[in-house]
Amino acid sequence: MSNNNVKQGMAGNGLLLLSLVVFLVSLIYAFMQIGSNGHASFNTSSALPWGQPIATYLYFALASSGLGLLASLPLVFGFKQYYPVAKRCIFLAFIVLISGMAVLAMELGNVFRMLWAIPLNFQTQSAMFWMGIFYALDLLFLLWKFRKMESGEWDSKTSKQVGIASFLLVLLASGNLALIFGMMSMRPFWFDALLPIYFYFTAVTSGMAALVFFVYLSHGFRRDTMSPALQKLMTGAVPKLFAALVGGTLLFIAARAITGMYSNNPEINLVWTDYLFSSTTYHLSLWVGLLLPFIILLNSNLRNQVNMQLLASILVFLGLFSERFFFVVGGQVVPLFKGTWIPNLIQYSPSATEWSLTIMGWSLIFVLYVLGEKFFNLSAMPDNLDQDA
Amino acid sequence: MAKWGMVIDLDKCTGCQACTTACAMENNTLPGESWQDVLFYHEGEYPSAQMKWLPRPCMQCENPSCVHVCPTRATYKDESAGGVVFVDWNKCIGCKYCMIACPYGVRFYADEKPLLEPDLREIFPGGQDKQLWSPPYQSPDEDWSKGIGIQPPGVVSKCTFCHHKTSKAPAGTVDFDEDNPAVKEYVPACVRTCAPKARYFGDLDNPESQVNQLIGDKHGVRLKDHTGNKPQVYYLGAGAGVPAFQPADKGDKS
Repeated sequence: MSNNNVKQGMAGNGLLLLSLVVFLVSLIYAFMQIGSNGHASFNTSSALPWGQPIATYLYFALASSGLGLLASLPLVFGFKQYYPVAKRCIFLAFIVLISGMAVLAMELGNVFRMLWAIPLNFQTQSAMFWMGIFYALDLLFLLWKFRKMESGEWDSKTSKQVGIASFLLVLLASGNLALIFGMMSMRPFWFDALLPIYFYFTAVTSGMAALVFFVYLSHGFRRDTMSPALQKLMTGAVPKLFAALVGGTLLFIAARAITGMYSNNPEINLVWTDYLFSSTTYHLSLWVGLLLPFIILLNSNLRNQVNMQLLASILVFLGLFSERFFFVVGGQVVPLFKGTWIPNLIQYSPSATEWSLTIMGWSLIFVLYVLGEKFFNLSAMPDNLDQDA
Repeated sequence: MAKWGMVIDLDKCTGCQACTTACAMENNTLPGESWQDVLFYHEGEYPSAQMKWLPRPCMQCENPSCVHVCPTRATYKDESAGGVVFVDWNKCIGCKYCMIACPYGVRFYADEKPLLEPDLREIFPGGQDKQLWSPPYQSPDEDWSKGIGIQPPGVVSKCTFCHHKTSKAPAGTVDFDEDNPAVKEYVPACVRTCAPKARYFGDLDNPESQVNQLIGDKHGVRLKDHTGNKPQVYYLGAGAGVPAFQPADKGDKS
């Protein structure tokens, strides 16, 4: 398999160079802007403190959790047909989380202070304290699990235990991330006891989109270069599960939209009517980013075509990124107690610096991914599996 | 131990914003970083429209949601300082979660786009003292562990009930009445400057205090009490509530 892996050849070098250049340019631009203007280079304000960098972090953190949950299908729950993507899932989960953390680090007011102030002050009441703990442990266990796979330990007792621990940490980390928003009763658009379930589900959907895209990227956007087991997976279980995930995501959004619009509370109702559904971008993300791929994936002929799978993965990628943005900003657009100082919904669109952080995060994923393909065999799976396939 | 509270009589408040100005001068805040301001609302439609206004400091909540969410304990409720909620600028990482969690919108991240041009931070840039900006006049009282003075970049700031003044009052002071020469120097700036005397400051733990008597006699209420945050700021008089948000361009169809 690794011989067929185009990312280890010239194409890989080209992609590595390109993503490295984009990464460095966006990083340097963001550094210069933040260095000279501070966070005044963001379009956030005291009235709307969390903007696109937070949404980007949220997107990456959840995509990472989604990939971790997908990896648990073979590693924890014994769905052996998913073994061909398990190692790639774990690696992607690791690098996507690293990229998310890099974006978050650039967003914070005093990032280095965080390193001592969070552990030393031990504020267990804060969901953000637990976010730090759980995602740090999540990262550690992903790395540990990857090391086990790298040494060919797929089914040893320790490997399984690490896999289960990693699965539980993913649940804790992303569930707790949901509670950062879901426990805020003063922000009714977010306040939702079942938000962790919504985050788990949509996390897996975004993880699946990433997985499908990167599997094809690694195989030169062709299926005939894949191992038989992987080919079988990509024409069977994966597109079906992908369809179910996108459908479920749409159902979740519909449920939130209906309850939100039914509510008299303007802090929920107006977010749907005057912000989300009055935005062309939101409509695009919903209908083109989620509904269109769902229709494509429902059709048994279309869903097995390489191009259609790729299209669906890219659309869902972008659609869910947009969903995260509108989720984060939507919780804040109704002015909190500001009266006539802010007579309408708070206007927010990301600044060039905020975009550069998002681009930095995306490009970092590509840099790390190509490096991963160069240095590791991400297509590795247990030896006996290919014969079974 | 004292529990400092504020009472604002809306029947006496004229919405003149003297409190807002006094606060900004006392605490060296930037335009838009209004630790205290007066919000204006309108309700209903012509010919029965009403104009309302509401002075709004930090509520110094008894059960402050901003304190619960802070991952570094940078924001904390200091019972020994009368229950004031402070931000320790040496610990704040600038995650802004407290600003999300505050139901009253009274926390500020001054490292943002300027409200007015020219930007005062460019005219008086922060120097080696690590301040976000350094105006020529600064309050001599500075205590970053309580968020008093001019903040460094990347931290959240808020009203401290003028702790740098109230903490110097003689022990046992119950009522901070600006008309009493013995304590007038220790009265919070917004209270001292209030021309119609709509603001009162004192000890909520003392049943004899003026603030407690006013709350009892005139049925003081707390804003957004359903949040459970239990403010230490009480409002008297008509209109001690905030109309539900409605975009200005939609008009009132009620």
